[in-house]
Amino acid sequence: MERFRHDLHAWLDEHRDELAPDYERPGTLDQHMAQMQRVKSILHAAGWMRYGWPERVGGLGGSPMLRTELGAALAGRDITDPGLFSLIEVLAPTVIDFAPQALAAEMVPRLLSGEEMWCQGFSEPGTGSDLASIHCRATPDGDPATAEQWIINGQKVWTSLAQYSDRCVLLTRTGSPESRHRGITAFFVDMNTPGITVAPLEMINGEHEFAEVFFDDVVVPADRMLGSLHGGWAIAMSILPFERSSCFWQRIAYLYRRLQRLVDVGRDDDRTAEVVGNAFVQLHMLRSRSRVTQHRLASGETLGAETSIDKVLVATAEQSTYDAALRLLPEAIALDDSVAGELWRSEYLYSRAATIYGGTAEVQRNIIARRLLDLGADE
Amino acid sequence: MDAAERALLAETVADALAAAPGVDVVATDRVLAELGWLDMLREETDAAIEIVFRALGSTNCHATLLDDVVTHALALDAGPDIAALLPPFGRWHAPGRIEGERVSADGIMTDRATTAQHVLIVSASSDGLRAASVSADAMSLTAVRGIDPDAHVHGASVDATLDATFDGGSSIDAASWATAVALAQRALAYQIAGASRTMLDLARTHAVERVQFDRPIARFQAVRHRLAEALVATEALDAALISAADEPGPQTAALAKAIAGRTARTVAGHCQQVLAGIGFTTDHAFHRYLKATMLLDGLFGSADNLVLDIGRGLLATRHVPTLIEL
Repeated sequence: MERFRHDLHAWLDEHRDELAPDYERPGTLDQHMAQMQRVKSILHAAGWMRYGWPERVGGLGGSPMLRTELGAALAGRDITDPGLFSLIEVLAPTVIDFAPQALAAEMVPRLLSGEEMWCQGFSEPGTGSDLASIHCRATPDGDPATAEQWIINGQKVWTSLAQYSDRCVLLTRTGSPESRHRGITAFFVDMNTPGITVAPLEMINGEHEFAEVFFDDVVVPADRMLGSLHGGWAIAMSILPFERSSCFWQRIAYLYRRLQRLVDVGRDDDRTAEVVGNAFVQLHMLRSRSRVTQHRLASGETLGAETSIDKVLVATAEQSTYDAALRLLPEAIALDDSVAGELWRSEYLYSRAATIYGGTAEVQRNIIARRLLDLGADE
Repeated sequence: MDAAERALLAETVADALAAAPGVDVVATDRVLAELGWLDMLREETDAAIEIVFRALGSTNCHATLLDDVVTHALALDAGPDIAALLPPFGRWHAPGRIEGERVSADGIMTDRATTAQHVLIVSASSDGLRAASVSADAMSLTAVRGIDPDAHVHGASVDATLDATFDGGSSIDAASWATAVALAQRALAYQIAGASRTMLDLARTHAVERVQFDRPIARFQAVRHRLAEALVATEALDAALISAADEPGPQTAALAKAIAGRTARTVAGHCQQVLAGIGFTTDHAFHRYLKATMLLDGLFGSADNLVLDIGRGLLATRHVPTLIEL
């Protein structure tokens, strides 16, 4: 691991200019996307994008922690946006584990090499944190066991980067409306299929990272089903360990980078020391916890409800970091239209969502109370 | 020591302490001495401080072992005859000052102050830090009731001639003191982690058993979320302690101690609210843990002082270190 990290950073140093963004931060989402795909293509050609992925999808094998290191290195160097880059972790493992082998072998290299972008169609306007309540329906064209195609109708929301995406990992309702997690099926859908409409949403920070996606009689071949009929919930759950290990570690690397920036510009006084000290303590708690979680995952343990603790810590630390920014740079966040001001403003606003997305802080606490503290059912 | 051996030892220590009379410092010291505390400390330092201090915290037993931790970390021969002068409340600097053959100091001592022959005092001098000792008779002690009378700590000061019988005041480098501080901070953080875990257990048990409005209060989301917050804090402290053990050093230890102080405050706050009326009485054990952690927070650096110092360090170096890697 140490060797890999050393070699990786040496290579990144050597290719610093080639990998650097060709625009000034904060940049637009279009620029971030183009930069990420360009960097992925360079890293894929050089082999770095292939470590930690199985050989049957063109990877070079090894521990998934290798790809976590890569993502953290890119985030820590401001080469790619960690929120965008780490989406690979919630997309590729699903296709590798649940798609027919030939499909996975064909498609996954396209995602890793930056040739394509994919999105995850899970949330719906009615679901919020209750994912098992999805309505977007897939209807078989004939008997469900032998149907050659499925027809999809419904709406998704909060679909990251849908407007840039070539494919979508989509959760649909295939059982009765009351079947909840027992009646959900996943499909791997081409985004250029007729009947799909993407409408980007403008976020509180002016970005258009998320979109609404409408499905109107969208025809999907049956061989694009991921996993088994009504087996979609297992797929949704299988993503959690990756989301809460690798994705978090990349986010953590970026938060250290942002705290470094605050420390670069902060006054040399005790008020500043207390503010940055507090944020650093929160980050250290989070990094310590995340490291333990990843070592558990790497040693073959199954991650479960205890990752809700990681989720609470990541949200707390993220908000602490930007609370620190607001305390030290209030005027920059309120009034500064320079690059630095725009970035702090945008990220501060985005950080408020940390206790909302991926299951709200309240839902995490419910899980902790029920599953980890064994407090029984709530009211 | 492998995981199974650690688990067995942890169980043995916890059982022994559970059987010991908790408020009697001398008895607790004796129980741990019989279990081979000093040998454990010398041969398996990390496992010894983790297991013993965590157990002290979770059972709310009070002992004088911090003196041994400091003495051992300075590569001196720890034992019941040697007490250590601890830094003043909230601080972690070397507590003494040597001028010529005289040493003056202010600080805190465990109850070993009343039984030891010698008192180890790490002191600043014109030649840098020195580890010196004075005869225990030379110490001026004030027994402290304070927030946690069961701990039997003493306010201690001295202005005396160095005691040649133990150590004439040999030079140590600043790194040795930093190492001793780090080990003491980790030991105390384990103790606070043990106490925090018990506070949470007590509050959880109460929430499940206490019936209000015809149902256990554990059913109410407001109560559940408080306990969940307490668990998050406790688990984060455990993770910080793993970091401090895997990457030992002054920074990871200071962070663990700072996080311990914060965790105890968070856990105690939530648990006290959940325990409500009964937690406000001395009929329930909670108050002992609350008081114990309020004292422990002040030994070798309070959370508030440490966080400020950590922040000053970041600004002085203009560098945010990641400290631990995968």
